[in-house]
Amino acid sequence: MMAAEQLIDGRVIEACQQGDRAAFQLLFETYKDKVFSIAVYSSGGDRAVADDVTQQIFLKLFTAIRQFRGDSEFTTWLYRLVVNACLDERRRRRRLLPWGETVAMRNPGDKKPQEKQYARLEVTEAVQAAIAELKPKFRLPILLKYIEGLSYEEIASVMGCSKGTVASRLNRGHSQLAKRLSHLNNPAAWGE
Amino acid sequence: MFSKHVTRDISAYCHGELSNEESKQFAEHLISCAKCRTKFDEVKLGIKFAEQLPKLSAPDHLWRDLEPLLARQNEAQPFRSPVWSWQMKAAAAAVLLLLSSWGIWLVYSNRVDEISADKRAWRVRRLDGAPKVGAERISNNGELAVGEWLETDANSRAQIAVGSIGNVEVDENTRVRLLETRPTEHRLELARGKMSAQIWAPPRLFFVNTPSAVAADLGCAYTLEVDDHGASLLRVTSGWVALQLKARESMVPAGAACETRPVLGPGTPYFEDSSASFQESLKKVDFDSGAVTRSAALTVLFEQARPRDTLTLWHLLMRVDGEDRGRVYDKMAALSPPPPGVTREGILGSDQTMVNIWRNELETTWMGVGKGVPKPIKTGLSDRLKELTPK
Repeated sequence: MMAAEQLIDGRVIEACQQGDRAAFQLLFETYKDKVFSIAVYSSGGDRAVADDVTQQIFLKLFTAIRQFRGDSEFTTWLYRLVVNACLDERRRRRRLLPWGETVAMRNPGDKKPQEKQYARLEVTEAVQAAIAELKPKFRLPILLKYIEGLSYEEIASVMGCSKGTVASRLNRGHSQLAKRLSHLNNPAAWGE
Repeated sequence: MFSKHVTRDISAYCHGELSNEESKQFAEHLISCAKCRTKFDEVKLGIKFAEQLPKLSAPDHLWRDLEPLLARQNEAQPFRSPVWSWQMKAAAAAVLLLLSSWGIWLVYSNRVDEISADKRAWRVRRLDGAPKVGAERISNNGELAVGEWLETDANSRAQIAVGSIGNVEVDENTRVRLLETRPTEHRLELARGKMSAQIWAPPRLFFVNTPSAVAADLGCAYTLEVDDHGASLLRVTSGWVALQLKARESMVPAGAACETRPVLGPGTPYFEDSSASFQESLKKVDFDSGAVTRSAALTVLFEQARPRDTLTLWHLLMRVDGEDRGRVYDKMAALSPPPPGVTREGILGSDQTMVNIWRNELETTWMGVGKGVPKPIKTGLSDRLKELTPK
Protein backbone atom coordinates (compact mmCIF):
# COMPACT_ATOMS: atom_id res chain seq x y z
CA MET A 1 0.00 0.00 0.00
CA MET A 2 1.21 3.47 -0.83
CA ALA A 3 2.13 5.50 2.22
CA ALA A 4 0.28 8.77 2.44
CA GLU A 5 3.60 10.63 2.61
CA GLN A 6 4.50 9.41 -0.86
CA LEU A 7 1.80 11.68 -2.23
CA ILE A 8 3.85 14.69 -1.21
CA ASP A 9 6.42 15.19 -3.92
CA GLY A 10 8.45 18.16 -5.17
CA ARG A 11 5.53 19.50 -7.21
CA VAL A 12 3.21 19.63 -4.22
CA ILE A 13 5.82 21.40 -2.12
CA GLU A 14 6.53 23.85 -4.92
CA ALA A 15 2.83 24.58 -5.24
CA CYS A 16 2.61 25.15 -1.48
CA GLN A 17 5.55 27.55 -1.74
CA GLN A 18 3.55 29.51 -4.30
CA GLY A 19 0.54 29.69 -2.02
CA ASP A 20 -1.73 27.11 -3.61
CA ARG A 21 -4.48 26.35 -1.11
CA ALA A 22 -5.36 22.92 -2.56
CA ALA A 23 -1.75 21.78 -2.34
CA PHE A 24 -1.52 23.00 1.20
CA GLN A 25 -4.70 21.19 2.14
CA LEU A 26 -3.18 18.02 0.71
CA LEU A 27 -0.11 18.57 2.86
CA PHE A 28 -2.33 19.18 5.88
CA GLU A 29 -4.45 16.06 5.31
CA THR A 30 -1.30 13.96 4.91
CA TYR A 31 0.41 15.00 8.12
CA LYS A 32 -2.36 16.28 10.42
CA ASP A 33 -2.80 13.05 12.42
CA LYS A 34 0.90 12.58 13.06
CA VAL A 35 1.44 16.20 14.00
CA PHE A 36 -1.64 16.17 16.22
CA SER A 37 -0.54 12.92 17.94
CA ILE A 38 2.84 14.39 18.85
CA ALA A 39 1.14 17.56 20.07
CA VAL A 40 -1.25 15.58 22.27
CA TYR A 41 1.48 13.44 23.84
CA SER A 42 3.69 16.48 24.32
CA SER A 43 0.96 18.45 26.04
CA GLY A 44 0.22 15.79 28.62
CA GLY A 45 -2.91 14.63 26.85
CA ASP A 46 -4.54 18.05 26.71
CA ARG A 47 -6.37 17.97 23.38
CA ALA A 48 -7.36 21.62 23.47
CA VAL A 49 -3.72 22.62 23.79
CA ALA A 50 -2.83 20.06 21.10
CA ASP A 51 -5.42 21.65 18.76
CA ASP A 52 -3.76 25.05 19.23
CA VAL A 53 -0.27 23.67 18.80
CA THR A 54 -1.25 21.79 15.64
CA GLN A 55 -2.80 24.92 14.19
CA GLN A 56 0.27 26.97 15.05
CA ILE A 57 2.51 24.37 13.42
CA PHE A 58 0.55 24.42 10.15
CA LEU A 59 0.32 28.19 10.17
CA LYS A 60 4.05 28.40 10.60
CA LEU A 61 4.53 25.76 7.95
CA PHE A 62 2.38 27.76 5.56
CA THR A 63 4.78 30.70 5.84
CA ALA A 64 8.04 28.90 6.41
CA ILE A 65 7.62 26.51 3.51
CA ARG A 66 8.74 29.35 1.26
CA GLN A 67 12.15 29.02 2.87
CA PHE A 68 12.32 25.26 2.35
CA ARG A 69 15.14 24.68 -0.14
CA GLY A 70 15.17 20.91 -0.21
CA ASP A 71 18.56 20.64 1.53
CA SER A 72 17.04 17.99 3.79
CA GLU A 73 14.05 15.67 3.44
CA PHE A 74 10.76 17.51 3.73
CA THR A 75 9.63 15.23 6.56
CA THR A 76 12.81 15.93 8.52
CA TRP A 77 12.25 19.64 8.06
CA LEU A 78 8.58 19.33 9.06
CA TYR A 79 9.28 17.27 12.18
CA ARG A 80 11.96 19.74 13.23
CA LEU A 81 9.25 22.38 13.09
CA VAL A 82 6.93 20.14 15.13
CA VAL A 83 9.56 19.35 17.77
CA ASN A 84 10.47 23.02 18.16
CA ALA A 85 6.82 24.04 18.41
CA CYS A 86 6.17 21.42 21.10
CA LEU A 87 9.24 22.51 23.07
CA ASP A 88 8.20 26.19 22.78
CA GLU A 89 4.70 25.35 23.95
CA ARG A 90 6.04 23.42 26.89
CA ARG A 91 8.30 26.31 27.88
CA ARG A 92 5.37 28.70 27.58
CA ARG A 93 3.11 26.50 29.69
CA ARG A 94 5.76 26.05 32.35
CA ARG A 95 5.90 29.79 32.72
CA LEU A 96 2.13 29.92 33.06
CA LEU A 97 1.75 26.77 35.15
CA PRO A 98 4.69 26.62 37.51
CA TRP A 99 3.52 23.40 39.07
CA GLY A 100 3.42 21.63 35.73
CA GLU A 101 0.75 19.43 34.38
CA THR A 102 -0.48 16.37 36.17
CA VAL A 103 -1.87 13.36 34.42
CA ALA A 104 -4.04 10.95 36.33
CA MET A 105 -2.70 7.45 35.93
CA ARG A 106 -5.08 4.60 36.44
CA ASN A 107 -3.89 1.45 38.04
CA PRO A 108 -5.52 -1.58 36.42
CA GLY A 109 -4.37 -3.83 39.24
CA ASP A 110 -7.67 -4.12 41.11
CA LYS A 111 -10.27 -4.58 38.50
CA LYS A 112 -13.43 -6.60 38.38
CA PRO A 113 -13.52 -9.66 36.09
CA GLN A 114 -15.96 -8.02 33.68
CA GLU A 115 -13.50 -5.20 33.24
CA LYS A 116 -10.82 -7.54 31.94
CA GLN A 117 -11.71 -6.77 28.35
CA TYR A 118 -10.81 -3.14 28.99
CA ALA A 119 -7.38 -3.99 30.35
CA ARG A 120 -5.59 -3.17 27.13
CA LEU A 121 -7.22 0.22 26.99
CA GLU A 122 -6.03 0.90 30.50
CA VAL A 123 -2.48 -0.07 29.56
CA THR A 124 -2.67 2.32 26.62
CA GLU A 125 -3.86 5.14 28.86
CA ALA A 126 -1.16 4.43 31.42
CA VAL A 127 1.48 4.44 28.67
CA GLN A 128 0.23 7.80 27.41
CA ALA A 129 0.43 9.21 30.92
CA ALA A 130 3.91 7.79 31.49
CA ILE A 131 5.09 9.21 28.15
CA ALA A 132 3.78 12.62 29.14
CA GLU A 133 5.86 12.49 32.33
CA LEU A 134 9.14 11.85 30.51
CA LYS A 135 11.52 14.72 29.97
CA PRO A 136 11.19 16.11 26.43
CA LYS A 137 14.64 14.88 25.46
CA PHE A 138 13.49 11.30 26.15
CA ARG A 139 9.88 11.72 25.09
CA LEU A 140 10.42 13.25 21.65
CA PRO A 141 12.67 10.48 20.27
CA ILE A 142 10.06 7.96 21.45
CA LEU A 143 7.26 9.85 19.70
CA LEU A 144 9.30 10.21 16.52
CA LYS A 145 10.09 6.51 16.61
CA TYR A 146 6.68 5.08 17.46
CA ILE A 147 4.29 7.67 16.02
CA GLU A 148 6.26 8.76 12.96
CA GLY A 149 8.22 5.56 12.40
CA LEU A 150 11.48 7.44 11.80
CA SER A 151 14.86 5.72 11.73
CA TYR A 152 17.58 6.68 14.22
CA GLU A 153 19.32 8.67 11.52
CA GLU A 154 16.14 10.61 10.73
CA ILE A 155 15.47 11.26 14.42
CA ALA A 156 19.05 12.48 14.81
CA SER A 157 18.55 14.84 11.90
CA VAL A 158 15.26 16.18 13.30
CA MET A 159 16.70 16.68 16.79
CA GLY A 160 20.08 17.94 15.64
CA CYS A 161 22.10 15.35 17.50
CA SER A 162 24.08 12.20 16.73
CA LYS A 163 22.65 8.73 16.13
CA GLY A 164 24.43 7.60 19.29
CA THR A 165 22.61 10.24 21.30
CA VAL A 166 19.29 9.10 19.85
CA ALA A 167 20.10 5.48 20.78
CA SER A 168 21.08 6.50 24.28
CA ARG A 169 17.98 8.69 24.82
CA LEU A 170 15.67 5.98 23.52
CA ASN A 171 17.35 3.50 25.85
CA ARG A 172 16.80 5.76 28.82
CA GLY A 173 13.26 6.57 27.75
CA HIS A 174 12.41 2.87 27.42
CA SER A 175 13.96 2.12 30.83
CA GLN A 176 11.98 4.89 32.47
CA LEU A 177 8.76 3.65 30.88
CA ALA A 178 9.49 0.12 32.10
CA LYS A 179 10.12 1.35 35.65
CA ARG A 180 7.08 3.61 35.77
CA LEU A 181 4.79 0.95 34.33
CA SER A 182 6.28 -2.13 35.97
CA HIS A 183 2.99 -2.68 37.85
CA LEU A 184 1.40 -3.45 34.48
CA ASN A 185 3.88 -6.17 33.60
CA ASN A 186 1.46 -9.02 34.18
CA PRO A 187 -0.90 -10.95 31.90
CA ALA A 188 -4.00 -9.59 33.64
CA ALA A 189 -3.05 -6.03 32.77
CA TRP A 190 -2.74 -7.01 29.10
CA GLY A 191 -6.09 -8.79 29.12
CA GLU A 192 -4.41 -12.19 28.59
CA MET B 1 33.19 -13.68 28.25
CA PHE B 2 35.07 -10.39 28.58
CA SER B 3 33.65 -8.32 25.71
CA LYS B 4 32.42 -4.87 26.70
CA HIS B 5 28.90 -4.35 27.96
CA VAL B 6 26.22 -3.66 25.40
CA THR B 7 23.58 -1.84 27.44
CA ARG B 8 23.77 1.34 25.33
CA ASP B 9 22.94 -0.62 22.17
CA ILE B 10 19.84 -2.39 23.46
CA SER B 11 17.22 -0.16 21.81
CA ALA B 12 19.26 0.00 18.60
CA TYR B 13 19.43 -3.81 18.57
CA CYS B 14 15.71 -4.18 19.15
CA HIS B 15 14.91 -1.67 16.41
CA GLY B 16 17.17 -3.40 13.89
CA GLU B 17 19.57 -0.43 13.78
CA LEU B 18 22.69 -2.58 14.21
CA SER B 19 24.45 -4.38 11.37
CA ASN B 20 24.22 -8.17 11.22
CA GLU B 21 27.72 -8.50 12.64
CA GLU B 22 26.97 -6.02 15.45
CA SER B 23 23.71 -7.85 16.20
CA LYS B 24 25.54 -11.13 16.45
CA GLN B 25 28.19 -9.72 18.80
CA PHE B 26 25.45 -8.08 20.86
CA ALA B 27 23.54 -11.35 21.22
CA GLU B 28 26.67 -13.34 22.06
CA HIS B 29 27.56 -10.91 24.82
CA LEU B 30 24.03 -10.84 26.17
CA ILE B 31 23.82 -14.61 26.48
CA SER B 32 26.80 -14.60 28.80
CA CYS B 33 26.30 -11.34 30.72
CA ALA B 34 23.67 -11.29 33.45
CA LYS B 35 24.02 -7.53 33.97
CA CYS B 36 23.29 -6.67 30.34
CA ARG B 37 20.52 -9.27 30.21
CA THR B 38 18.72 -7.63 33.12
CA LYS B 39 18.96 -4.27 31.40
CA PHE B 40 17.84 -5.86 28.14
CA ASP B 41 14.68 -7.19 29.78
CA GLU B 42 13.95 -3.75 31.19
CA VAL B 43 14.40 -1.94 27.86
CA LYS B 44 12.44 -4.65 26.06
CA LEU B 45 9.55 -4.06 28.46
CA GLY B 46 9.79 -0.31 27.82
CA ILE B 47 9.59 -0.99 24.08
CA LYS B 48 6.57 -3.22 24.62
CA PHE B 49 4.84 -0.34 26.38
CA ALA B 50 5.92 2.26 23.80
CA GLU B 51 4.48 0.07 21.04
CA GLN B 52 1.05 0.57 22.65
CA LEU B 53 1.06 4.28 21.83
CA PRO B 54 -1.82 4.79 19.41
CA LYS B 55 -1.74 7.27 16.56
CA LEU B 56 -4.49 9.79 17.17
CA SER B 57 -6.83 11.38 14.66
CA ALA B 58 -6.84 15.14 14.39
CA PRO B 59 -10.31 16.62 14.93
CA ASP B 60 -12.32 17.44 11.82
CA HIS B 61 -12.74 21.09 12.73
CA LEU B 62 -8.99 21.72 12.52
CA TRP B 63 -8.93 22.57 8.81
CA ARG B 64 -12.11 24.66 9.09
CA ASP B 65 -10.48 26.64 11.91
CA LEU B 66 -7.21 26.88 10.05
CA GLU B 67 -8.51 28.15 6.71
CA PRO B 68 -9.51 31.69 7.81
CA LEU B 69 -6.24 32.01 9.70
CA LEU B 70 -4.33 31.01 6.59
CA ALA B 71 -6.31 33.53 4.53
CA ARG B 72 -5.50 36.27 7.02
CA GLN B 73 -1.87 35.29 7.04
CA ASN B 74 -1.82 35.24 3.25
CA GLU B 75 -3.18 38.77 3.17
CA ALA B 76 -0.43 39.91 5.48
CA GLN B 77 2.31 38.05 3.59
CA PRO B 78 1.01 37.45 0.07
CA PHE B 79 2.34 34.56 -1.98
CA ARG B 80 3.24 34.72 -5.64
CA SER B 81 0.38 33.63 -7.88
CA PRO B 82 -0.26 29.92 -7.90
CA VAL B 83 1.11 27.90 -10.79
CA TRP B 84 -0.99 24.75 -10.50
CA SER B 85 -2.79 23.87 -13.67
CA TRP B 86 -6.43 22.79 -13.51
CA GLN B 87 -5.23 19.21 -14.13
CA MET B 88 -3.01 19.34 -11.05
CA LYS B 89 -5.84 20.82 -8.99
CA ALA B 90 -8.13 18.03 -10.16
CA ALA B 91 -5.46 15.50 -9.23
CA ALA B 92 -5.04 17.07 -5.79
CA ALA B 93 -8.79 17.04 -5.25
CA ALA B 94 -8.90 13.37 -6.21
CA VAL B 95 -6.03 12.60 -3.86
CA LEU B 96 -7.75 14.50 -1.04
CA LEU B 97 -10.90 12.52 -1.65
CA LEU B 98 -8.85 9.33 -1.65
CA LEU B 99 -7.11 10.33 1.59
CA SER B 100 -10.40 11.15 3.28
CA SER B 101 -12.04 7.88 2.25
CA TRP B 102 -8.91 5.98 3.21
CA GLY B 103 -8.90 7.70 6.61
CA ILE B 104 -12.58 6.95 7.17
CA TRP B 105 -12.05 3.34 6.14
CA LEU B 106 -9.10 3.07 8.55
CA VAL B 107 -11.04 4.50 11.44
CA TYR B 108 -14.17 2.44 10.90
CA SER B 109 -12.52 -0.85 10.11
CA ASN B 110 -9.84 -0.35 12.79
CA ARG B 111 -7.23 -1.76 10.45
CA VAL B 112 -4.28 0.52 11.24
CA ASP B 113 -2.35 -2.14 13.11
CA GLU B 114 -3.14 -4.83 10.58
CA ILE B 115 -1.86 -2.70 7.73
CA SER B 116 1.47 -2.11 9.39
CA ALA B 117 1.60 -5.76 10.39
CA ASP B 118 0.95 -6.82 6.80
CA LYS B 119 4.08 -5.02 5.70
CA ARG B 120 6.26 -7.04 8.05
CA ALA B 121 7.84 -9.96 6.25
CA TRP B 122 10.81 -12.32 6.27
CA ARG B 123 12.89 -13.28 3.27
CA VAL B 124 12.50 -16.85 2.03
CA ARG B 125 15.01 -18.68 -0.18
CA ARG B 126 14.26 -21.84 -2.07
CA LEU B 127 16.68 -24.68 -1.26
CA ASP B 128 15.02 -27.49 -3.25
CA GLY B 129 11.90 -28.03 -5.32
CA ALA B 130 9.16 -25.41 -5.36
CA PRO B 131 8.04 -24.33 -1.88
CA LYS B 132 4.82 -22.32 -1.65
CA VAL B 133 4.08 -19.11 0.20
CA GLY B 134 0.31 -18.92 0.42
CA ALA B 135 -0.93 -20.25 -2.91
CA GLU B 136 2.12 -19.04 -4.85
CA ARG B 137 5.17 -21.17 -5.60
CA ILE B 138 8.42 -19.26 -5.10
CA SER B 139 11.15 -19.55 -7.72
CA ASN B 140 14.35 -18.64 -5.89
CA ASN B 141 13.49 -15.91 -3.44
CA GLY B 142 10.27 -14.75 -1.88
CA GLU B 143 8.77 -13.11 1.17
CA LEU B 144 6.77 -14.52 4.04
CA ALA B 145 4.49 -11.86 5.51
CA VAL B 146 2.86 -11.98 8.92
CA GLY B 147 -0.06 -14.41 8.75
CA GLU B 148 1.22 -16.25 5.65
CA TRP B 149 1.96 -19.98 5.45
CA LEU B 150 5.11 -21.46 3.93
CA GLU B 151 4.55 -25.01 2.76
CA THR B 152 6.95 -27.59 1.35
CA ASP B 153 6.07 -30.87 -0.34
CA ALA B 154 8.01 -34.14 -0.46
CA ASN B 155 10.59 -32.61 -2.84
CA SER B 156 11.01 -29.08 -1.62
CA ARG B 157 12.90 -27.26 1.12
CA ALA B 158 13.33 -23.60 1.99
CA GLN B 159 15.32 -21.27 4.20
CA ILE B 160 13.83 -18.32 6.09
CA ALA B 161 15.92 -15.37 7.26
CA VAL B 162 14.59 -14.51 10.71
CA GLY B 163 15.09 -10.75 10.54
CA SER B 164 18.71 -10.15 11.46
CA ILE B 165 18.80 -12.72 14.24
CA GLY B 166 19.16 -16.06 12.49
CA ASN B 167 17.95 -18.62 9.99
CA VAL B 168 15.36 -21.36 9.88
CA GLU B 169 15.61 -24.23 7.43
CA VAL B 170 12.29 -25.78 6.55
CA ASP B 171 12.45 -29.46 5.58
CA GLU B 172 10.22 -31.47 3.26
CA ASN B 173 6.48 -31.87 3.97
CA THR B 174 6.41 -28.99 6.40
CA ARG B 175 3.93 -26.22 7.06
CA VAL B 176 5.01 -23.07 8.94
CA ARG B 177 3.39 -19.71 9.42
CA LEU B 178 4.83 -16.36 10.44
CA LEU B 179 2.78 -15.20 13.41
CA GLU B 180 4.67 -12.13 14.55
CA THR B 181 7.84 -10.20 13.89
CA ARG B 182 8.66 -7.09 15.88
CA PRO B 183 11.63 -5.87 17.89
CA THR B 184 10.62 -7.69 21.05
CA GLU B 185 9.21 -10.88 19.57
CA HIS B 186 9.62 -13.08 16.50
CA ARG B 187 7.19 -15.98 16.37
CA LEU B 188 6.58 -18.86 13.96
CA GLU B 189 3.96 -21.58 14.05
CA LEU B 190 5.05 -25.08 13.05
CA ALA B 191 1.86 -26.99 12.23
CA ARG B 192 3.62 -30.12 10.94
CA GLY B 193 6.97 -31.26 9.56
CA LYS B 194 10.48 -30.36 10.58
CA MET B 195 12.53 -27.19 10.89
CA SER B 196 16.06 -26.39 12.02
CA ALA B 197 16.72 -23.04 13.67
CA GLN B 198 20.00 -21.27 14.22
CA ILE B 199 19.44 -18.15 16.27
CA TRP B 200 21.91 -15.61 17.62
CA ALA B 201 19.35 -13.59 19.54
CA PRO B 202 19.13 -12.82 23.23
CA PRO B 203 16.99 -15.23 25.22
CA ARG B 204 13.25 -15.30 24.61
CA LEU B 205 13.13 -13.24 21.44
CA PHE B 206 12.41 -16.08 19.01
CA PHE B 207 9.50 -18.49 19.61
CA VAL B 208 7.99 -21.39 17.72
CA ASN B 209 4.42 -22.42 18.50
CA THR B 210 3.59 -26.08 17.98
CA PRO B 211 0.27 -27.83 18.68
CA SER B 212 1.65 -29.14 21.99
CA ALA B 213 4.13 -26.54 23.30
CA VAL B 214 5.95 -23.30 22.60
CA ALA B 215 9.71 -23.46 22.01
CA ALA B 216 11.49 -20.37 23.36
CA ASP B 217 14.97 -19.82 22.07
CA LEU B 218 17.63 -19.01 24.66
CA GLY B 219 20.44 -18.40 22.14
CA CYS B 220 20.90 -21.69 20.37
CA ALA B 221 20.55 -24.10 17.46
CA TYR B 222 17.97 -26.85 17.37
CA THR B 223 15.61 -28.96 15.29
CA LEU B 224 11.91 -29.24 15.96
CA GLU B 225 9.65 -31.84 14.44
CA VAL B 226 5.85 -32.05 14.62
CA ASP B 227 3.93 -35.18 13.57
CA ASP B 228 0.42 -35.44 12.20
CA HIS B 229 -1.04 -35.88 15.72
CA GLY B 230 0.51 -32.66 17.00
CA ALA B 231 3.23 -34.35 19.09
CA SER B 232 6.70 -32.88 18.70
CA LEU B 233 10.34 -33.71 19.25
CA LEU B 234 12.92 -31.05 20.07
CA ARG B 235 16.65 -31.78 19.66
CA VAL B 236 19.08 -29.07 20.76
CA THR B 237 22.53 -28.87 19.17
CA SER B 238 23.82 -25.74 20.89
CA GLY B 239 22.74 -23.44 23.73
CA TRP B 240 19.40 -23.92 25.48
CA VAL B 241 15.75 -24.06 24.50
CA ALA B 242 12.78 -23.77 26.84
CA LEU B 243 9.65 -25.73 25.99
CA GLN B 244 6.49 -24.49 27.58
CA LEU B 245 2.79 -25.16 27.79
CA LYS B 246 0.96 -23.10 30.41
CA ALA B 247 2.84 -23.54 33.71
CA ARG B 248 4.79 -26.62 32.59
CA GLU B 249 8.27 -25.86 31.28
CA SER B 250 11.27 -27.98 30.30
CA MET B 251 14.77 -26.59 29.91
CA VAL B 252 16.67 -28.44 27.19
CA PRO B 253 20.44 -27.94 26.81
CA ALA B 254 22.72 -28.88 23.91
CA GLY B 255 22.94 -32.62 23.42
CA ALA B 256 19.51 -33.19 24.92
CA ALA B 257 16.05 -33.76 23.47
CA CYS B 258 12.48 -33.47 24.69
CA GLU B 259 9.15 -34.77 23.44
CA THR B 260 5.81 -33.02 23.76
CA ARG B 261 2.21 -34.20 23.51
CA PRO B 262 -0.99 -32.22 22.84
CA VAL B 263 -2.78 -31.24 26.06
CA LEU B 264 -0.01 -32.69 28.27
CA GLY B 265 2.69 -30.30 26.99
CA PRO B 266 6.43 -30.86 27.27
CA GLY B 267 7.78 -34.10 28.65
CA THR B 268 11.05 -34.39 30.56
CA PRO B 269 14.32 -33.53 28.77
CA TYR B 270 16.94 -36.27 28.38
CA PHE B 271 20.42 -36.51 26.94
CA GLU B 272 20.41 -38.27 23.62
CA ASP B 273 23.41 -40.41 24.61
CA SER B 274 21.46 -41.97 27.47
CA SER B 275 20.54 -45.67 27.10
CA ALA B 276 17.57 -46.80 25.02
CA SER B 277 15.83 -48.29 28.06
CA PHE B 278 16.34 -45.02 29.96
CA GLN B 279 14.60 -43.13 27.16
CA GLU B 280 11.86 -45.74 26.83
CA SER B 281 11.17 -45.64 30.57
CA LEU B 282 11.08 -41.86 30.56
CA LYS B 283 8.44 -41.90 27.85
CA LYS B 284 6.26 -44.05 30.14
CA VAL B 285 6.88 -41.80 33.12
CA ASP B 286 5.92 -38.76 31.08
CA PHE B 287 3.01 -39.94 29.02
CA ASP B 288 1.58 -43.22 30.38
CA SER B 289 -1.65 -42.80 32.29
CA GLY B 290 -1.21 -45.82 34.60
CA ALA B 291 0.34 -45.05 38.01
CA VAL B 292 1.75 -48.58 38.36
CA THR B 293 3.41 -48.46 34.92
CA ARG B 294 4.90 -45.07 35.70
CA SER B 295 6.28 -46.19 39.04
CA ALA B 296 7.85 -49.30 37.48
CA ALA B 297 9.32 -47.18 34.68
CA LEU B 298 10.82 -44.87 37.30
CA THR B 299 12.67 -47.86 38.81
CA VAL B 300 14.22 -48.73 35.41
CA LEU B 301 15.09 -45.09 34.92
CA PHE B 302 16.99 -45.03 38.23
CA GLU B 303 18.92 -48.15 37.28
CA GLN B 304 20.03 -46.66 33.98
CA ALA B 305 20.73 -43.09 35.13
CA ARG B 306 24.26 -41.65 34.96
CA PRO B 307 25.45 -38.47 36.76
CA ARG B 308 24.67 -36.44 33.64
CA ASP B 309 21.10 -37.73 33.64
CA THR B 310 20.46 -35.65 36.74
CA LEU B 311 19.12 -33.21 34.12
CA THR B 312 16.17 -35.57 33.70
CA LEU B 313 15.91 -36.31 37.41
CA TRP B 314 16.03 -32.61 38.28
CA HIS B 315 12.95 -31.96 36.13
CA LEU B 316 11.22 -35.04 37.58
CA LEU B 317 11.94 -33.81 41.09
CA MET B 318 9.73 -30.80 40.32
CA ARG B 319 6.99 -32.92 38.77
CA VAL B 320 6.45 -36.12 40.78
CA ASP B 321 4.71 -36.22 44.14
CA GLY B 322 4.88 -38.04 47.46
CA GLU B 323 7.06 -41.07 47.82
CA ASP B 324 8.35 -40.89 44.24
CA ARG B 325 9.74 -37.44 44.94
CA GLY B 326 11.85 -38.84 47.77
CA ARG B 327 13.05 -41.65 45.49
CA VAL B 328 14.13 -39.15 42.84
CA TYR B 329 16.03 -37.13 45.41
CA ASP B 330 17.82 -40.18 46.78
CA LYS B 331 18.91 -41.26 43.30
CA MET B 332 20.16 -37.76 42.47
CA ALA B 333 22.05 -37.55 45.75
CA ALA B 334 23.70 -40.90 45.00
CA LEU B 335 24.76 -39.78 41.50
CA SER B 336 25.82 -36.26 42.39
CA PRO B 337 25.95 -35.60 46.13
CA PRO B 338 24.49 -32.23 47.10
CA PRO B 339 26.97 -29.57 48.24
CA PRO B 340 27.43 -28.81 51.96
CA GLY B 341 24.43 -27.08 53.44
CA VAL B 342 21.93 -28.67 51.05
CA THR B 343 19.72 -31.19 52.80
CA ARG B 344 17.08 -33.73 51.78
CA GLU B 345 14.43 -31.91 53.79
CA GLY B 346 15.41 -28.58 52.27
CA ILE B 347 15.16 -29.82 48.68
CA LEU B 348 11.93 -31.76 49.22
CA GLY B 349 10.54 -28.71 51.01
CA SER B 350 11.52 -26.55 47.99
CA ASP B 351 13.91 -24.35 49.99
CA GLN B 352 14.82 -21.90 47.21
CA THR B 353 18.35 -21.19 48.45
CA MET B 354 19.23 -24.88 48.61
CA VAL B 355 17.57 -25.54 45.27
CA ASN B 356 19.68 -22.80 43.66
CA ILE B 357 22.95 -23.97 45.23
CA TRP B 358 22.51 -27.56 44.10
CA ARG B 359 21.34 -26.63 40.63
CA ASN B 360 24.39 -24.41 40.10
CA GLU B 361 26.54 -27.40 40.97
CA LEU B 362 24.64 -29.67 38.59
CA GLU B 363 24.88 -27.31 35.63
CA THR B 364 28.52 -28.08 35.03
CA THR B 365 27.66 -31.77 34.81
CA TRP B 366 24.89 -31.08 32.32
CA MET B 367 26.87 -28.71 30.15
CA GLY B 368 30.45 -29.89 30.39
CA VAL B 369 30.40 -33.53 29.37
CA GLY B 370 29.48 -35.39 26.25
CA LYS B 371 30.30 -35.64 22.61
CA GLY B 372 29.14 -32.73 20.51
CA VAL B 373 28.32 -30.51 23.46
CA PRO B 374 29.80 -27.05 22.98
CA LYS B 375 32.02 -25.35 25.50
CA PRO B 376 29.77 -24.41 28.40
CA ILE B 377 28.83 -20.82 28.96
CA LYS B 378 29.47 -20.48 32.65
CA THR B 379 28.91 -16.82 33.32
CA GLY B 380 25.26 -16.02 33.77
CA LEU B 381 23.93 -19.49 33.15
CA SER B 382 23.02 -19.99 36.77
CA ASP B 383 21.01 -16.82 36.83
CA ARG B 384 19.23 -17.80 33.67
CA LEU B 385 18.35 -21.19 35.02
CA LYS B 386 17.15 -19.66 38.25
CA GLU B 387 14.70 -17.65 36.21
CA LEU B 388 13.67 -20.44 33.93
CA THR B 389 13.79 -23.78 35.71
CA PRO B 390 10.34 -25.20 36.36
CA LYS B 391 8.95 -24.28 39.74
